[in-house]
Amino acid sequence: MIITILYYLLVAFVVFLMGWNLLKSKKWQEEVLYVIVLLPFLLRLLRLK
Amino acid sequence: MSMTTSATIILAAMVAAYLAAKIFKISTELSMLAAALVGGFVGGAGLPARHIAEGAFTYLDICLIFITATLFMNLLKESGGVAFVVRRILKRFHKHKFLLFIMLAVLMLIPGMLTGAGSVTVLIVGGMVATVLGYMGIPKPKAAAIVFVIAGLSAAAPPVSLWAMLTAAGVNMPYVGFFLPLMIPCLVLALLTIFILGWKSKPVDLDQALKELPQPPARMNWAKILLPFLIFFALIIAGRIWPFDFPIMGLPLVFAFAAAITLLLSPVRIDFLEVSRRTVHQLLPLIGTLTCVGVLVQIMTLTGVRGLISVTVVTLPAMVVILTLFLTLPVSESVLMWGAAPVLGVPLVLLFNTMNLNPIIALAGMSIIWPLGDAIPPTAIIGRLTVETVGMKERYSIFLKYCIIPAVLIIIVGTLMVVFSKKLAFLAVF
Repeated sequence: MIITILYYLLVAFVVFLMGWNLLKSKKWQEEVLYVIVLLPFLLRLLRLK
Repeated sequence: MSMTTSATIILAAMVAAYLAAKIFKISTELSMLAAALVGGFVGGAGLPARHIAEGAFTYLDICLIFITATLFMNLLKESGGVAFVVRRILKRFHKHKFLLFIMLAVLMLIPGMLTGAGSVTVLIVGGMVATVLGYMGIPKPKAAAIVFVIAGLSAAAPPVSLWAMLTAAGVNMPYVGFFLPLMIPCLVLALLTIFILGWKSKPVDLDQALKELPQPPARMNWAKILLPFLIFFALIIAGRIWPFDFPIMGLPLVFAFAAAITLLLSPVRIDFLEVSRRTVHQLLPLIGTLTCVGVLVQIMTLTGVRGLISVTVVTLPAMVVILTLFLTLPVSESVLMWGAAPVLGVPLVLLFNTMNLNPIIALAGMSIIWPLGDAIPPTAIIGRLTVETVGMKERYSIFLKYCIIPAVLIIIVGTLMVVFSKKLAFLAVF
C-alpha cells in the first residue's frame, strides 16, 4: 500500500514537471509531444487506467 | 481482399505517412505517431482512442525508470560528484595510460547502464572525458567516436537495456538472464574501443586538464558519492535475497531513493525543482519515442501490420536474416530509434527461437548492435549530441570514419553471439 502511494506521488510529480515544461515550451512540436507523453501519466494519476 | 493484401496496403500507407512527416521536418516521434494515426484510419478503425491510450501505456514503467535514473545522475553531477570522480581518476592514474583508459571506460559505462540511455552518458560524463582525452593528444573527432561508441554500449549494458527490455516485453519473455550476456561484451568492447582509438595518445597534461575540468565542492568526498550507489544496490539485492520479506519496490522507486540520498548528501545546495524540470525536458525525445512507439505498435497489432512483418521475417531464410543483421539493426534504429526493438526485434527473436537458438543470448547480441544506428542519419540523435558535447568542429563524416573499427568489432561480436547463442546459454544465469 505504501509503495503504491509512493508511486502515485512519483507520477504526480512527473505530471507536474511535464505540465510546467508544456506551459514554458515555445515550440509546437514539443508541446504536442508533451501532451502525448502526459496522456498515460494523467490517466494513471486519475486512476482512469 | 486477402488479409495479406490488406495489411500490406495499410503498411504502405503508414510508411508513406512517416516519410511525408519527415519531409515536412516533423520530429521522428511525431512522425511515428502520424504513421500510427494514418494506419488506424486506413485500417478502418478511424481514430481508435482506446488503442491510442492503450499503446501510450505500454512503456509507462520504462519511462518512469528513465526519469528517476536520469534525475539520480543529474543530481550527482550537480552536486559535483562526477567532476570529483573524473579529477580523482585523472590525478591518480595520469601516469598510467592503461589504467586511466580502463577507469574512463568504466566511468562512461555507469550512467548509461543505470539509465538505459546513451544520451545520459554523453551529457553526464561525455564532455569531461573528452576534455581528458583531448589533453592526451586525441583529436576531437576521435574523442567523440570514443564517447559515442561507449555511450551506445553503456545503453545496451545491464541492468537497464532498453532494446532487450522492449523486445523481451514484446515476446512475453521475462527480462531475466540478461546480466552477463550484456555485461561481458559491453565491457570488453568498451575497453577495446578506448584502447584502439586512443592507442596513439600521449601522457596527459595534468595541470592543463585539471584547469579546464570543473572544480568539485570542497566538502565532496567518496562517501557522499558511493553511499547512494550502495543504497541503490542494497535495495535491489535485498529484494532478491529476501523475496518474501522485503517489499518489491521496482526500479523507479529505488532510483528515486538513490536520488533523494544524493540530494541530502550534496555539499552544495541544489535547485531540485529546476534539475527535475531539466531532466524531464532532456528526456522528452526518449519518453516521447517510447510513448509514440507504444501507440505505433498497438495500431500495427490492431490492423494486422505487425503480424505481416512478423510472418515475413519468420519465413525469411535464416542465414539471410543473420548475415544482414549488421545492416537491418542499425538502419532500423536510425529510422525508428528504440521503436526498432518492438517492431523488428520481436519477430527476429521469435525466428531465432524457432531455430532452436537461445533467445536471451541472441537478443543480447542484437542489443549491442542496435545502438550503432544512433550515429546514422536521419535521426542520429546521440551522434549529433556527442559531437556537440565534445565541441567538435570538423565534418560529421570524420567522426563516423573513426567509429568504423569499433562498429565492425561490435557487429562481429553481436552476430557471433546470435549464431553461437546456444553454446553461450550458460551465461544466462541472472
